[in-house]
Amino acid sequence: MNKIIILFCLLTTISVFSQGNIPNVDLKTMEGKTISFHEVTDQNNIVIISLWATWCVPCIKELDAISDVYEEWQEETGVELIAISVDDSRTVKRVKSLINGKGWDYQILLDTNNDLKRALGASTVPLTIVVKDNEIVLRHSGYSPGSEDELYEKIKELTL
Amino acid sequence: MKNLLLIVSVLYGTLTFAQDKGYFFGGFESNTQWLLNDEGLNFDAPEDQLRSNNYFRLDYNLGKITAGVQYESYLPSALLGYSPVFDGNNAIGTYYLNFKHETIDITAGYFYQQFGSGLILRSWEDRQLGINNALKGIRVIFTPTDYLDLTGIYGKTRNGFDVSEGITQGIDANFNISEALNIDRIDLDIGASYVGRYQNNGTNDTIPSIVNAYGGRLNFVAGDFYGGLEAIIKDPDVIANEGQLSSNKLYDGTAMQVDLGYAKKGLGINATFRRLENFSFYADRLAEGNIYNQELIGYTPALTKQQDYMLTNIYVYNAQPRLIIETYDQRAGEVGTQIDLYYNFKKGTLLGGKYGTKVAGNFSYWAGLDAEYHIENRWYKAEFIGNGSRLFRDFSVEVKKKINKKWSSVATFQNVIVDKGIVYGGPLAVEDDIQASIAVLEGTYKIKGSKSVRFVVQHLWAEKDRKNWAAGVLEYNINSNFALYLADNWNYGDTDIHYYSTGGSYSKGRTRFAMNYGRQRGGLICIGGVCRFVPENTGLTANLTVNF
Repeated sequence: MNKIIILFCLLTTISVFSQGNIPNVDLKTMEGKTISFHEVTDQNNIVIISLWATWCVPCIKELDAISDVYEEWQEETGVELIAISVDDSRTVKRVKSLINGKGWDYQILLDTNNDLKRALGASTVPLTIVVKDNEIVLRHSGYSPGSEDELYEKIKELTL
Repeated sequence: MKNLLLIVSVLYGTLTFAQDKGYFFGGFESNTQWLLNDEGLNFDAPEDQLRSNNYFRLDYNLGKITAGVQYESYLPSALLGYSPVFDGNNAIGTYYLNFKHETIDITAGYFYQQFGSGLILRSWEDRQLGINNALKGIRVIFTPTDYLDLTGIYGKTRNGFDVSEGITQGIDANFNISEALNIDRIDLDIGASYVGRYQNNGTNDTIPSIVNAYGGRLNFVAGDFYGGLEAIIKDPDVIANEGQLSSNKLYDGTAMQVDLGYAKKGLGINATFRRLENFSFYADRLAEGNIYNQELIGYTPALTKQQDYMLTNIYVYNAQPRLIIETYDQRAGEVGTQIDLYYNFKKGTLLGGKYGTKVAGNFSYWAGLDAEYHIENRWYKAEFIGNGSRLFRDFSVEVKKKINKKWSSVATFQNVIVDKGIVYGGPLAVEDDIQASIAVLEGTYKIKGSKSVRFVVQHLWAEKDRKNWAAGVLEYNINSNFALYLADNWNYGDTDIHYYSTGGSYSKGRTRFAMNYGRQRGGLICIGGVCRFVPENTGLTANLTVNF
């Protein structure tokens, strides 16, 4: 029990120090090129990062739901969504056929050995984070229908 | 614990010097179970009723340097079905120091690495499966240009809070031909890997102390087409089954995987073929085939589609890379294929309706290798494809449709045939097949904002094994942070057991907390194609994750 208390104390202290920094890990593009997560988030626009997988039902629901309104979002706020697949080699080959079959317009990146997933401490997907000026300003795990509308409200606030 | 505090204070010290430049990140995850006696399930709670897996990870970055530790505790015991090496232990599980600057990336300590598709080498962590085969040693990644990278590794594989007896070394190279030669029309990259395991052979000279594996691969994207090929050969090694050498004979191993796909907007097709022959690769020759997936070097997941629902996960496939030549069981590997199809009926068309209709289908067929066996002299010969016994076959169709602003629905049908030996363990292709059909209907109703209700009804038809099942889930999302559910799997065809459960989850920002109570159906729990066997149990479970 003592150990647990110590851990909690540590945790709370440390959260004060951590400031939504962007971990410096490498990802792959669909063409197999290496790109660092810093390069991905280093844009003028607000960037939504969605960690997803082909086998994750809520992830696909979320990306499908956003896909329906994505054009509007982009026109109104210029926001960019980057969908980073954490599929490992078992399912990564399905990524390309799935995104096309779904007709998604997102930029897709691969995190095949889960380096980013670990660095973000995401024990489950979907994990949605919003990055503004190279800082994580919003973080949400899981998906429930309609939460994309809440996400968009926040994006609009951030673009003001 | 002392170690942890020491490391934390060092990190704190560093921070003070760093004057705001560095930052911490990490997380805490706790999965706890309180097991209860359950007569209806014939389940007697073990002596340690409370079981808890906890992970505390802390990383610190300062410019080019990143360092981290992961402390783990399995007190008083690890969750049911985890390797006993964890029970009652708590210690620093992994730690590392990494330097990264432009073309060079060096890690000392524990690291995670994958070569190619992972068939030849993959070290990773999966807490749900109890897998952490991080390598402890040194890794150097050199990326001189955009189109070339080289990786070298040397280390021992983590096994519980210890490391393997065997040492793994490896080199991996990736070269993007199109980038190097400025070819636009086709994207072509090639790669090559070498992985070797050194393990003392004691006094037995016939056992090789070094077993090497070599692999090559090629991937291409040409317009809407894409594909890949990977092949690996592994030097002759003895076979060990269940921790015992079965003879002094040596057998080489091979693996081959081919992928082909076609994707354009609205349509995606993907086909995979894989053949494995005697392709178990562990950091300790005696760890071959251990049921807890400890000390793995190569990654040979089942390449079937991961199904989404409770009843579509009763009859699942588990990859069969092993070589066994015994009177009661003969296996040499597996060969098979998996095909996926995704199609989107556009908005405004007859089948697409107002919002479009999304269809997904899959077909897979996996067989044991067609081989001749001579059991007395431990000899075998396998065909390349041949006509081996079918171990698994499934096809499924899923239709997703948004009906209106409030309603959306998913309908799924799956038909599966699986060998009994795959489901329950034991010799393959000896006992009967089990054939089952599963139908699932799911609906989601958006009440207002992010308040919604979701229901799932499922039915499984089977003539054998435990026969018919019915199942249902009701989920209430109160808002985007808070959800409750109620579920029941009812095996009415045979045992009349209800596997009921109920629970809820709360997530906000960096924290997620979930709790549930109920019965867990025993069987294989598979994540990413790797399976862990979980015995039936009843209890209360709590999960907490915090990230920072």
